[in-house]
Amino acid sequence: MEKQDKALVVPGEAESFDREDAPVRPSRKAASRRKAAWDNSLRIGSIVAIFFIWWILSLIFPPTLIPKPWETLAEAGAIISTGNFFVEIGNTLRRVLVGFGLAMAVSIPLGILMGTLRRMESFFEPPVILGLTMPGLIWAVLMIMFFGLTETSAYAAVAITIFPMLTISIWQGTKSIDKDLIDMSNVFQATPVMKIVEVILPQLISHILAAIRYGLGLAWKVVVVVEMFGFSNGVGYQVVRGFNVFSMKTVLAWALTFLIVMILIEFGLIGWFERSVTRWRPRVEAWRR
Amino acid sequence: MAYIHVDRAVKFFPREDGTEMLVLDGVSFDSKAYGITCLLGPSGCGKSTLLNVISGLERLDRGRVEIISNHRDTGARPPKLGYVFQDPRLLSWKRVEDNLIFALKGMKVPPSEWQERVHKYLDLVGLLEFRKQYPLYLSGGMRQRIGLARGLVVQPEVLLMDEPYSKLDQLTARKLREDTLSICALLKQTTLLVTHDVEEAAYMGDRIVVMSARPARVVDIFDNPFSALERNLDDVHFIEFKKKVLQTVLNLVKEEV
Repeated sequence: MEKQDKALVVPGEAESFDREDAPVRPSRKAASRRKAAWDNSLRIGSIVAIFFIWWILSLIFPPTLIPKPWETLAEAGAIISTGNFFVEIGNTLRRVLVGFGLAMAVSIPLGILMGTLRRMESFFEPPVILGLTMPGLIWAVLMIMFFGLTETSAYAAVAITIFPMLTISIWQGTKSIDKDLIDMSNVFQATPVMKIVEVILPQLISHILAAIRYGLGLAWKVVVVVEMFGFSNGVGYQVVRGFNVFSMKTVLAWALTFLIVMILIEFGLIGWFERSVTRWRPRVEAWRR
Repeated sequence: MAYIHVDRAVKFFPREDGTEMLVLDGVSFDSKAYGITCLLGPSGCGKSTLLNVISGLERLDRGRVEIISNHRDTGARPPKLGYVFQDPRLLSWKRVEDNLIFALKGMKVPPSEWQERVHKYLDLVGLLEFRKQYPLYLSGGMRQRIGLARGLVVQPEVLLMDEPYSKLDQLTARKLREDTLSICALLKQTTLLVTHDVEEAAYMGDRIVVMSARPARVVDIFDNPFSALERNLDDVHFIEFKKKVLQTVLNLVKEEV
C-alpha cells in the first residue's frame, strides 16, 4: 500500500516536500507495537529458559549444592523484606557508582586526547594496555593494603580496575570518528569546546554506552571481592557470611538480588539514556525482507 | 561587495619519496562580485586545493589569495566564508535547525539573531517545515539543501561550493542547481563553485575559469552572455555557448593524451 503510493510520484517531483506518508501512520504505529511485544516476550522467554535449566540441575544435584530456584527466590524475597537489604545494596551500589564515576571522569578526556593527539597516544598506550592485563583481584589487594579497610580502597580498586577498559574503548572510538566533520567544524570556526561536545562526543556515544555496560559489570565484580576481604557490610560481605555457614541458598539469593538491581539499572536507566541520546538514528533493519 | 582575487598562486605537495609535486602553477583570476564564478577543470587538477587555500585550511607556497570586500578593513579580521561540501556533512545528531545554529555559533553570530536567520534561510531552500527533523530521516537532496542553507546562514562574504551536486541523482541535481542559481541571484551572493561538469559550469557560472590538469593553470576565462535568470538548458544560443566552453576543455584533454 505504502509502496504503491510512492511509485505514483513523478521522479522529478520526488523532491517536493509534501509528506505523502501521513495516512499510513496508524498502521505503522500498530506494527511497531507488535514488534515491541515480540521483543519483550523474547526477553522474558530467555529468563524463563535460565530458570528452567536451573530447575533441571536442581533435580540432579542435592539441594545443598544446587537449591531449587523457587526456594532461592523465596530466600531472596525474605532478604528484600528485611530493611537491611536496602542498606547492604546501597553500600555496594555506592561503591560501584563512585568508582565507576571516577574512572569515567578520567577515561573520557584521556581517551579523546589519545585518539586525537599522536604524542598522548604514544605516552599513555603502554600503561593503559598493561593495566588491562592486571587482574581486578590484585588491585583490590593492593588498594586494601594501601588505604586499609576504608571506603577509599573500594572506590580506588573499582576505578583503577575498570579505567583501562573504558579508556581503550573511548580511545579507539575517537580514532574512528568522521574527519570530514572536523574539517566542517574548522571551516565554520567552531571552538575546541564545540568540537568536543557537539562533534566528537556524539560520535562516541555507542562506544561510551558499551563501555558503561562492560564497566558496570566489571566494577561490581571487583567491589564484591573488596567487600569479601573484610568489609562489614555490602553484598560481598553477605555472600561471605553465606559461604561461612555453607548455605548455597544464601549465596545465590544475595547474588540474585544484586543481579536484579543491575538489570533494573541496565534496562531502566541505561536503556532510557540510550534511547534519549540516539533518537536521531533510524533503527537498523538488516533482516527485513 | 566582495570578490576573490587570486594572484599567481603556487602550491607544492610533498610526495612520498621526498620530492615535491607542483599542484598550482601560477593561477591568477578575479571572481565575479555578486555572482557565481565556476572553477572548471578535470578531476584532481587542484581545484579543491585552491578552495582549501581560500578557506584557510591550506597555505600557498607563493602568490596571493585575497578576499576583497568594502564592508571591512582588509586584514582587520578574517573574511566570513560559507562552505558547501560535496557530501552534506551534517551533524546527524542535531535537528536541521540546530545544524544551522552550529555554524552561526561557530561564526560568533549573536544568539538573538539565530532564530530569525535560521527561519529565513531554511525557507529559502524550501525546508522550513523540516526544521525540527533529524537529517538521517531526510533524502539526499534535502540534506544537500540543508548544507546549502548552512553555508548561506552565516551570511558569508564569499560562498565556497565544492562539487555540491556530484553525488546527487540527475533530476535532484538539476532542481537544486536551478534553486541555487535563483537564491544566489536573489541574495547577490558572491560564490565560487568548483566543478568538473561543463554543462553545470555553463549553466551556473556568471564567469567560468577553465583550469588545466595538474599542474593547474588558468587556460581560459569566459563571462556568461546570459544573466542568471535567462539561462535555458534547451535554448539554441545557450547550447552554442556551452559548446564553446566544451571545446576549450576538449582541446585541453587532447593535449594531455
